[in-house]
Amino acid sequence: MGGRELKLLESRRLLTLLLAGVFLWSLSTVDWRGPIIHTGGLAAFLDFLASLFPPELSPGFLGLALSASWQTLAYAVAGITLAVLIGFPLGVIASGSVSGSIRTGLGLAVAVRLILAAMRSIHELVWAVLFVAAFGLSSLTVILALALPYSGILGRIYGELFNQVPEGPLRALRASGASPFRVLLYGRLPMALPDMLGYTFYRLECAIRSAAIMSFVGIRGLGYEIQLSLHDLLFDQVWTLLLFMVGMVVLVDMWSSRVRRSLVS
Amino acid sequence: MSMNKSDSDHLLVATGISKSFGRVEALAPLNMTISQGERVALAGPSGSGKTTLLYLLAGIIQPDAGELLLAGQNLARQRPGKEKAGLVGLIHQQYDLVPHLPVLHNVLAGRLGQWSLFRSMISLVWPQDRQVAEEALAQMGIADKIHERTSHLSGGEQQRVAIARLMVQGSRVILADEPVSSLDPVRADDMLEILTALAGGSGRALVASIHSPRLMRKHFTRVIGLREGHLEFDIPAAEVTDRVFERLYDLDQSEAAVWGGGN
Repeated sequence: MGGRELKLLESRRLLTLLLAGVFLWSLSTVDWRGPIIHTGGLAAFLDFLASLFPPELSPGFLGLALSASWQTLAYAVAGITLAVLIGFPLGVIASGSVSGSIRTGLGLAVAVRLILAAMRSIHELVWAVLFVAAFGLSSLTVILALALPYSGILGRIYGELFNQVPEGPLRALRASGASPFRVLLYGRLPMALPDMLGYTFYRLECAIRSAAIMSFVGIRGLGYEIQLSLHDLLFDQVWTLLLFMVGMVVLVDMWSSRVRRSLVS
Repeated sequence: MSMNKSDSDHLLVATGISKSFGRVEALAPLNMTISQGERVALAGPSGSGKTTLLYLLAGIIQPDAGELLLAGQNLARQRPGKEKAGLVGLIHQQYDLVPHLPVLHNVLAGRLGQWSLFRSMISLVWPQDRQVAEEALAQMGIADKIHERTSHLSGGEQQRVAIARLMVQGSRVILADEPVSSLDPVRADDMLEILTALAGGSGRALVASIHSPRLMRKHFTRVIGLREGHLEFDIPAAEVTDRVFERLYDLDQSEAAVWGGGN
């Protein structure tokens, strides 16, 4: 026992030495002739912070922020809705729990898991670039770009949740003569539903963020307005827009906990 | 044995069924016949193979060897579904209900083997055969709980829901794994009367694991004693004296057997 600990300690010291060496070596690549920190940066940062007091609160701008938020929220909700519609059946197949024959079920499950992995391994912005080329700057572009990676994520999680429910009730359903699909309907689904809902709401929050940054490909919404205000160095406007962003996520969070509470009681 | 006697009399015929989990022999080759109208108590200390035997009879696990005939049909060759569900039904020690569903749907789950897929689906929105479930729950004395979330019920109430589900399933052989282990003596009598009624009538039988000689003599017709996977005795319930019973559960003897078996 003692010998093993000593060995571990030794290898840990060796690692520390190695990392320290790498750090020292990395210093040699720094250009020491100029200042290391951008000296104007602090002033600019303080300037940016100061614009929070107060943010831009004129009725006209608030109206603009509200409609931009609405647009972003609409994209996110539409994208997630489509993702649930695609992800749910794929998740059912990926769980491998509904096929009568084990071999075909397993084969299908592996194939669908690969498809899900492919969908979510490509970032929504990359999908957006592809869809802009196909459909232009339309709502369809945003919704599809969000829906594809999010279906991949939701389908995978749903599949896992279906397989993580306790086995006892499922066994009892089978003993009552229920087919695998009926076991899904009366056992797996109701038992997994609270977690599925919670996770979907969490993904809606993420989708709001993703919808906002669709401005990078030229889609309008909250991110687009932030970009415009930043270009004009109107930091007070940027703050207003960021606060709207945070507000939306907080609202979704509150909605989520309300829905989950009503499901439990 | 009287295998050639009319099949309808023998509801359940097991010939040399055995089961091992890894290197542990849970049940040594066992022969037994259960006729309709019988109420059989399974006795034996923990780990004696009672639950394994019940699971084999229910078709939840398959025997390593031997043959199991239910109403003349080989259970192993039967796919789960309507016919099997109509033959055997099991109440598990943990009741095994879906806690998130209302009581009504847990009871109606007993019909899933009979319903078409379409009917199973719409029943979650518009409950089908609702009257059957209401009657079963009323018989169990918990008709007022029909719309409650199952997880909100007490343990005793959940057990009644599980029995209502079995009623709706309408199996001929009722298997119960330790049905009175968490009940006080009065409720234990109550529960066994319910099970007796459920397994009464022509063409039916009851098999339950029980630990009390008093309850065996009162509610059962026959007692099968198991010990470390082996059949110790198979006698009419009236012959179960406290001495027979104590010998079955005797700790010293089981330890001696374990040490003896190790050599």
